[in-house]
Amino acid sequence: MAKDFLPIGSIPDFLDALATFGEVHGPLLTDDGVQVFGRIASPADLRLDYRRTLLPPKKYLLPPRETVLTYAPDSGYRPPPLPDRDIILLALHPCDLAGIAYLDMAFTSTEPDPWYRARRRRLTLIGLSCEPDEFCFCAEVGAATPGNFDLFLERTPAGFHIRTGSRRGEKILARLARLLGESEPALSSPQRCNIESAILVAVRRGETFPYSPLWDEFASRCLSCGACSLCCPTCYCFDVREYGLLDGESAERIREWDNCLFMAHGETAGGFNFRKNRRERFLYRYRHKYLGFGPTRGTLSCVGCGRCREVCPVRIDLLELFKEER
Amino acid sequence: MSTNHDMTAIPLPATVIELRKLSDDTTLFRLRLDDAIAARRLKVIPGQFVQLSVPAGGEVPISLAALPGEDGALELCVRRVGHVTALLHTLAPGAGVAIRGPYGNGFPVTDWRGKNVLLLAGGLGIAPLRSLLHFLLRHRSDFGEITLMYGAREPAAILFKEELSELSGRRDMHLFLTVDFVSEEPPGGLVCHTGLLPGLLSGVNFTTENTVAALCGPPALYRCVVEELQGFGFPADSIFLSLERRMKCGVGLCCHCAIGELFCCTDGPVFRYADLRGVEGAL
Repeated sequence: MAKDFLPIGSIPDFLDALATFGEVHGPLLTDDGVQVFGRIASPADLRLDYRRTLLPPKKYLLPPRETVLTYAPDSGYRPPPLPDRDIILLALHPCDLAGIAYLDMAFTSTEPDPWYRARRRRLTLIGLSCEPDEFCFCAEVGAATPGNFDLFLERTPAGFHIRTGSRRGEKILARLARLLGESEPALSSPQRCNIESAILVAVRRGETFPYSPLWDEFASRCLSCGACSLCCPTCYCFDVREYGLLDGESAERIREWDNCLFMAHGETAGGFNFRKNRRERFLYRYRHKYLGFGPTRGTLSCVGCGRCREVCPVRIDLLELFKEER
Repeated sequence: MSTNHDMTAIPLPATVIELRKLSDDTTLFRLRLDDAIAARRLKVIPGQFVQLSVPAGGEVPISLAALPGEDGALELCVRRVGHVTALLHTLAPGAGVAIRGPYGNGFPVTDWRGKNVLLLAGGLGIAPLRSLLHFLLRHRSDFGEITLMYGAREPAAILFKEELSELSGRRDMHLFLTVDFVSEEPPGGLVCHTGLLPGLLSGVNFTTENTVAALCGPPALYRCVVEELQGFGFPADSIFLSLERRMKCGVGLCCHCAIGELFCCTDGPVFRYADLRGVEGAL
């Protein structure tokens, strides 16, 4: 029988072993009670029973703000050094792994973005099976089967079955051998519904629900706070800005998260706005999320993590659109 | 020039070599890439744009207003309208800027061989169409009739006046101008109609057979001109529109410029009307 079982009591040793490969990050609870991904300084910090973090793991690949060029009069525009920190990101649920798989496609499939690629190469992903709650719907968007991991931990009452998904994962697992025990009998895999979900049916058809009264209803309640996009594991719109520094000569060009729910997102020079009302901005978000733009056309990027449904202060739920499908 | 589709690619340094004030708020900037080899390698399709960096201001997408000149100079016709363009307008010859691109598809000029071309420009929309017109005139024998119709707000807002007056003397193309309002000042010897572009269109004889139309102008222009063109019998796949959006990266990544499921920066900025029809928010 394969030795692939990590007893729950071995987690501290497991973290020590992982730390030899890079800085270990995972789900933890902050002092102000927010579930986040952050640096795991001691085993007591790690919350393997977490439901979902407020912000998704995209922040490890696309920081909320980063400098992409610097300018000085004598040297012109120059790129700053690429990030070089090895990070082991622990306990990602299948939805968040799927979110990173989508970002990988958007940022590395054609002409790789150097910043994304540098961070991604140094990021090890360790997945963890999860228990869905009332906000989750990963099965309905086809993101329930774990993928895009280096290691994956399947939880059992006594510990975790570990499996590998990459060469890097195998290398790490080899270093963990002394912690692993004989496998318990395999768990029966959860029953999956064979019927294609209403979301997948609608998306395959390229549905935009042009006559749905829900768009106006959503628009009438939306606060344009942008929380749904901020907390989305696959929202990656960014703005590019340049700031002059205090010497009056040099400058920094940064890119930072932008948000399609914000008024300025559709503005052009001169103040004309292509998405000045909330209904238009909702449609834009829907199209991007469910139907895709440009090179991601035809790719559903919602991973069913449930964050947007949980955080919306006025309880707007795009899934209501699909109810007519059922 | 960098064809690298990486928004963080280092923009190529360029120098402002000449400024030509075209109106109160609009200036033609002639730039030269500092790297002569890169300048020689530069391939431009009319209708493409570049991302222009003004140090400490930022980057803006600007259409090329001409094909690269004999001297490798690039011409950008820029209105002072935002943060970056305001800073650009403070520059003097010799100032350093930088460029990425060219980006976008441009007008499908090779498919247009043997056809008549009708160019319809409103306001600053003359900029990308000027590069198209230069191309058509440079390859004059490849095309049928060439007609430029250009509308501006008022006589003082007509851009490229000297060039237009030269063009009006050419026998191998037609030029029609119109202004929305007539002030006291006559438009510098140019024959000019009064009224909006669609009105001009309906008052002029032109053939729709074997003709393509190329449009660029402010958002309000498209809907009424397209309607007018269709009334004349232009099929939707013979009407080409160069659209403006807030292109931050230019390479299909930042997601600001989607039109339906297409990106203005990589799938456009030139679209066939046939591909925009029915797309909410396109025009």
